[in-house]
Amino acid sequence: MTLWVCFRCIRSGRHFRGLPILIQRRAQSTTTNNGISSALLTRAQALTAEHSSLSHHLTESFDAKIAKRVGDLAPVVQAWTEWEKAKESISELNVLLDDPDTDAELRSLAIEDLESSNAQLQVVSDKLKQALIPRHPFAELPCLLEIRPGAGGEEAGLFASELLKMYTALSSRLGFRSTLLKLDTEEGQTEDRLTEAVLEIETDGAYDILRTESGVHRVQRVPATETKGRTHTSAVSVMILPSFPESGSDMDSALNFEDPNSDYYVNPQDVRTEKMRASGAGGQHVNKTESAIRLTHIPTGLVVSMQDSRSQHSNRKKAWQILRAKVASMRREAREQELVNLRRGAMGGVARMGRGDKVRTYNFGQNRCTDHRSGITVHNLGSVLDGGTGLEAIMDSVRSWLTDREIEDMIAEESAKELLKSQTNVDKKNS
Amino acid sequence: MPRLNTFSILQAYRRDPLLPLLLRECRSVGSARNELHWLRQHALGSRRPDVSQIYKSLGDTRYGWRSQLKSMCRERSRGKPLQYILGNQPFGDLDILCRKDVLIPRSDTESYTLRAARLILKTFSTHGQHPSSHLRPLRVLDLCSGTGCIPLLLHALLAPHFKSMSIVGFDISAKALALANDNIMHNVRLGSLDERAIHEVRFYQGNILDRRFDQILESASQGLLQLAANNSSCTYDKSLKYDILISNPPYVSATSYRDGTTTRSVRRYEPKIALVPLMGHHDLLSTTDYKMEDTFYYPILLLAFKLEAKITVLECGDHEQADRIAYLCRKMARTKMNGVWHIQIWDCDWEDKDGKSSHSKIGSRAVILQRLLPNAVLD
Repeated sequence: MTLWVCFRCIRSGRHFRGLPILIQRRAQSTTTNNGISSALLTRAQALTAEHSSLSHHLTESFDAKIAKRVGDLAPVVQAWTEWEKAKESISELNVLLDDPDTDAELRSLAIEDLESSNAQLQVVSDKLKQALIPRHPFAELPCLLEIRPGAGGEEAGLFASELLKMYTALSSRLGFRSTLLKLDTEEGQTEDRLTEAVLEIETDGAYDILRTESGVHRVQRVPATETKGRTHTSAVSVMILPSFPESGSDMDSALNFEDPNSDYYVNPQDVRTEKMRASGAGGQHVNKTESAIRLTHIPTGLVVSMQDSRSQHSNRKKAWQILRAKVASMRREAREQELVNLRRGAMGGVARMGRGDKVRTYNFGQNRCTDHRSGITVHNLGSVLDGGTGLEAIMDSVRSWLTDREIEDMIAEESAKELLKSQTNVDKKNS
Repeated sequence: MPRLNTFSILQAYRRDPLLPLLLRECRSVGSARNELHWLRQHALGSRRPDVSQIYKSLGDTRYGWRSQLKSMCRERSRGKPLQYILGNQPFGDLDILCRKDVLIPRSDTESYTLRAARLILKTFSTHGQHPSSHLRPLRVLDLCSGTGCIPLLLHALLAPHFKSMSIVGFDISAKALALANDNIMHNVRLGSLDERAIHEVRFYQGNILDRRFDQILESASQGLLQLAANNSSCTYDKSLKYDILISNPPYVSATSYRDGTTTRSVRRYEPKIALVPLMGHHDLLSTTDYKMEDTFYYPILLLAFKLEAKITVLECGDHEQADRIAYLCRKMARTKMNGVWHIQIWDCDWEDKDGKSSHSKIGSRAVILQRLLPNAVLD
């Protein structure tokens, strides 16, 4: 008896699940000086100075605004003092080691100490980094994951459904609760060609974990539909949207979508609802099954249509959820774009990774998955497409890449602001 | 019914050979595609769209699902309602079981019920008092309840706000009664209905047009009150009063049942007794402008005044009928009871969000009769 395995399965590497994952990484790190860039240090210093002057101010007269600012700065200051202390002890130990008069016993103790201090410095630097980097406003929220096939026709639809499977497996492996809000497939005997899918991941903080996945995912392989054995390249776009709870009242004011002053407020008057209405009599006279709902947000032109459920009520609820998420992420992006423009005006071209950019390639022929942002390559496609450790390794590397970028952006933004300020000062003097 | 054009039939066939069958009843490719999707899900054995199940189904499908799907499509092409084939219909957040000989819950009714629940909450939480602080249970009477969808949805929506409720549903059909009771258990099991519903919602058999209906109602409500008193520490008054009266009675006229206004599928498969009033009311037969399809509203309104219901919600077929009922309400309010009454007519196109509605001439309506008293607070 011979066991046979189909050619595609061998290629996709699913039978080699047991193999260790090979991870290759092209260096693209921006960190220096014990994982902290000098610009970040100057920023930390400046914030500490601000903190001390403000707290001095507070002892004289109380101001709620200043008190809040001091409270915000406190973790930075704490991390900064810890970092300085660690740094100081290291330099002292170094002096001790450099000194030729130190006896051998002390020297060995100093070396031991230096090792532990270095390890501690690493921890403290990470802390400092976290304290300095502003949290993403949606970081605490659950998320919606939208998958749409792009260029590549049927093959893109097939791969989109594989991605959906991948993320479902990932979320169940991480213990996240996920539900499928929307699943549109192409007609046919099998329902494996997606045209659109929205997966809701209901765990708080899922947005922060999955936001590395936004972007265009590219696949290179010989599709099942190909008869002549040629490799095709197709693309699937994945979008991570923040998912707001049903009523906004139990959220903090900045994210409350029911509050007209919030950035993410959606005015019901701006939304046009269209539904299938049978002409003629209604009520008991007819028994219509059309339950499709289409919402159009007029100011932005966003359209969400929903027809998965047999109840118009639940279709409307889901459509509203997706619409709110889309509007919020659109506004957020507009905000970020403003900052980019500001920076560009001050410092010239600044690259930005939007969701329209290609972020990752899944190459079946070479059994590898490469992320173009962090430069990581995982040589075990199976463990990525199963939502396993390979995918997590990629997501982790992208997350650290994103943090680095955010620090850079923040620093660039600060200096851009200063540049603008000095320019206006010069203008004032000239006039 | 306009003819389907050959092109759309061909188009449907190319997408899926089963679609032309569904097209006979659906009349549009989009809605036929949706129905095929639901039917396929049912055939594959998964009621809810669950990813793992859909993908698992690609590998190991239930034996014979294709032939089952085909036979379901054939049934549908003959006009059998989708809800009878699938056996259920979502209603609000509930899943209502549907069976032959009981009227299928309509989306219009769903919209009125949601809106009525909001009105109830608004009415009973004015005067700066949270509704849950009332000692007396909220009492709701539903007439012609069928599957029991209205009382169950009201319970699901209002249970978090009221400490205790007492909901009574009446229907003439024994089959409907059994189904309504099944629906309580089914939704409690699904978790969409609070366990309180088991003893707070009761269904009884009774004919509203019967002269002795008052007595039947009285004995039923007394029984329920005693049962509820054993179950919780609330205080009860023994009077025969209800806070809410809601009803979706038969309102189709004999002509519109015959002349094509009522669709083929409804006529062939749904119970006529739930659609068309078959006998007149003894008090009204002598009056000249009496219309057969309005039969139920008169006794229901009489009951509403007698029970001193604070809110009465009545579904009607079209705007003309709604106008007639509103007129009847006004006439009866003047003669029967003193007090301030507020009568309004709701459109079926109500939006959940902002109450904006597009006043169309077609579609069903609901007449709302509200009793406005300066001290209209419970207890």
